[in-house]
Amino acid sequence: MKIDPSVCLTRRRLLGAAAIGASGMAANMAQVELLSQPAFAEQLQQADKSVILLWLAGGASQLETWDPKPGRPTGGPFAKIQTCIPGIEISELLPKMSSRLHETAIIRSLNTKIADHGQAYEVMDTGRIREPGVQFPHLGAIIAHELANSHSDVPDYVEMYTSTEGRRKGAAGYLGARYNPMFLTESMMPENLKRLESIRDADHQERADLQRYLSQQFSMKLRNPIVDSHNTAFQRVRGLMSSDYLFDIERESRAMRDHYGPTQFGEQCLIARRLAEAGVPFVKVARAWWDSHGQNFETHQELCADLDFVMAALLDDLKQRGMLERTLVITLGEFGRTPQINGSLGRDHFASAWSCTLSGCGIRGGSVYGKTDEDGKTVVEGETNAGDLFATILAALGIDPKKEIMLGSRPIPLADFGSKPIQEILA
Amino acid sequence: MSDVLTRDMKTFKRTREIRSTDILFAIANRPDRQSVLLGSSDSGVYELDLTVEKPERIKFSGPGHRSYVTGIAVMDSQAVSCGYDGQLVWWDLQTRQAIRTIDAHDKWIRRLMSVPSRNAFVSVADDMRCRVWDAGSGERIADFTDHKAMTEHHFPSMLYAVAASPDGRWIATGDRVGHIAIWDTQTWAKKAELEAPVMYTWDPKARRHSIGGIRSLAFSPDSSQLAVGGTGKINNIDHLEGRSRLEVFDWHKGTRLHEFEDEKRKGLVEQIVWIPGTTWILAVGGDNKGFLTFFDTATNTMLHQDGCEGHIHGVTWDANVASLLVAAHERVEVWSWEKTAV
Repeated sequence: MKIDPSVCLTRRRLLGAAAIGASGMAANMAQVELLSQPAFAEQLQQADKSVILLWLAGGASQLETWDPKPGRPTGGPFAKIQTCIPGIEISELLPKMSSRLHETAIIRSLNTKIADHGQAYEVMDTGRIREPGVQFPHLGAIIAHELANSHSDVPDYVEMYTSTEGRRKGAAGYLGARYNPMFLTESMMPENLKRLESIRDADHQERADLQRYLSQQFSMKLRNPIVDSHNTAFQRVRGLMSSDYLFDIERESRAMRDHYGPTQFGEQCLIARRLAEAGVPFVKVARAWWDSHGQNFETHQELCADLDFVMAALLDDLKQRGMLERTLVITLGEFGRTPQINGSLGRDHFASAWSCTLSGCGIRGGSVYGKTDEDGKTVVEGETNAGDLFATILAALGIDPKKEIMLGSRPIPLADFGSKPIQEILA
Repeated sequence: MSDVLTRDMKTFKRTREIRSTDILFAIANRPDRQSVLLGSSDSGVYELDLTVEKPERIKFSGPGHRSYVTGIAVMDSQAVSCGYDGQLVWWDLQTRQAIRTIDAHDKWIRRLMSVPSRNAFVSVADDMRCRVWDAGSGERIADFTDHKAMTEHHFPSMLYAVAASPDGRWIATGDRVGHIAIWDTQTWAKKAELEAPVMYTWDPKARRHSIGGIRSLAFSPDSSQLAVGGTGKINNIDHLEGRSRLEVFDWHKGTRLHEFEDEKRKGLVEQIVWIPGTTWILAVGGDNKGFLTFFDTATNTMLHQDGCEGHIHGVTWDANVASLLVAAHERVEVWSWEKTAV
């Protein structure tokens, strides 16, 4: 299916139509016909789905998390533990997750080849290798583009990256500024979201109306998708201004805040759940910084404790709220870490055989895909690249990975050319 | 060890290197032979005969460790090893067989040493406990802690270092956040506390985790001073790029007498050795590579320094203090010095 981004049927249009249909469907046979179309049905299926990406910035060690190799020279000092799924073992550093693998699939065979932070980050953000002259959208923008509802008052795409190391803002690329993220860095509460006290609400509304009028006049004379995209973003300002309560975890009970623990990562994941619950399609929570060139084992004792506690809390909370079947939780970084242990008891960058996880929406829980050799140095089964991972993520959400966006006259599929979803881990 | 005064520090150099593929965390002299015992990342305890030209390691057998072996102490005809599996294993030196295995701690055991003048070993582990063990029976004699399980930033802490005073009266323990406690072995009561917070770096912003900790402790020959080893503050905690750091306390008074930070050699001070009969301290450790540094506490100066290709995890002198035997990353090294010309 080839779709121009300016005319494609998005979830927001669908839900707008569906809202009308709920009250007056009988009177509007055109919409009834629309609902019977496969593309429309597909959109309905995607309704209310969200992604929470736990970004393990800097590159977590697969050997200390999802693909342990105890007893091997590369294995490090940690043992592996049996999970709730017979035959699947993970690192002892993830005891809470070991009892929650029913909802999670592990991919142990990522080979993304690039082991430089900047380039690898870009590959794992966009699902493909950089191409001169093309600004590919990041995963969050793709998901927002596919799942966002323009009638919603909440943001489409939120990123939390409070650490400074490795911080990079997501980008919508050719999808347009409409799908750029709300990027939270210094504070978990969005900055500049409140109306200035010096401006009355009525004045603010009038300014917005004037901006809309002028933009429409401009667009009538000069059609430009960039201008359209910015106008769409402006039109959502007042809605976004009213969504600041979502970032306020003080509104949660003490018990719920304790459930997520006292760390910043825990608090941010609680916000992520609040956002997903309110209909935000994509939330990225970056937990930096796993780049353990020295003292890898100490670093992973700290960071895995945080990841294990918070990820388990998030999955439990989503499940208890009935949200897990429509929320996809991903753990991913830019790469993994070398099997070889260096002189500082560290592990260096490694992109040839590493792991990630997918939990919840559209995922066949309790599954493992791919295999590395006994020392974890190479992939021996099920080699998976970034494009395949993106295709899998999209398929899990009910989005066709081959759906094409027209960049001028060039069709570009959502997931990279030639990529395939991993059917073995899809529900 | 008084023989050390006859040695010329200027001649101190590496005289032998025996490469391996594993990481050697612990080394101990076998007193009845010219061999050493080694604790390895492959979970094994080995004996290495240094009298032969091409020594081959002999692995001890029996139910041993299941993870890295991080400490070995020898007493009479037996040795005891500790590991990240939380176990203490007693070994018969004649048969090289395991004779007793104890689940000693709930988490990684970081260090083990014998307690002078007592028939006992002392161990510290990441369960934040210090435990004393009867060398003969393996029974636990004492169990104490003054170290918090979690850092103030809600991450697991670690109890890295332990030392027993040469007279066997005192035990010192040191943790990740820089807290030190000194214990009376007659009552097992805490006698004093010290703080060395510079050795712990918490990065609240850029990387949001920590590095460092007190990695080594050693009492002076008269037991009045305590040397504390680790690393200085680190800017980029991805690496062990902080200056190696040594602090010396008059622990009874709670006063810091000396601070040594080495701009040239980076990383952790993994072991400290006071040289009896002198005012010298040997500090070893490293980052990606190793260092051996002699300090003089009388003049507050560095006397001598050398580098090693591998991060040094442990050292022991031979019986005559003629050679320093080094356990390092993928190697054993022998460092020697010549007698001063008369």
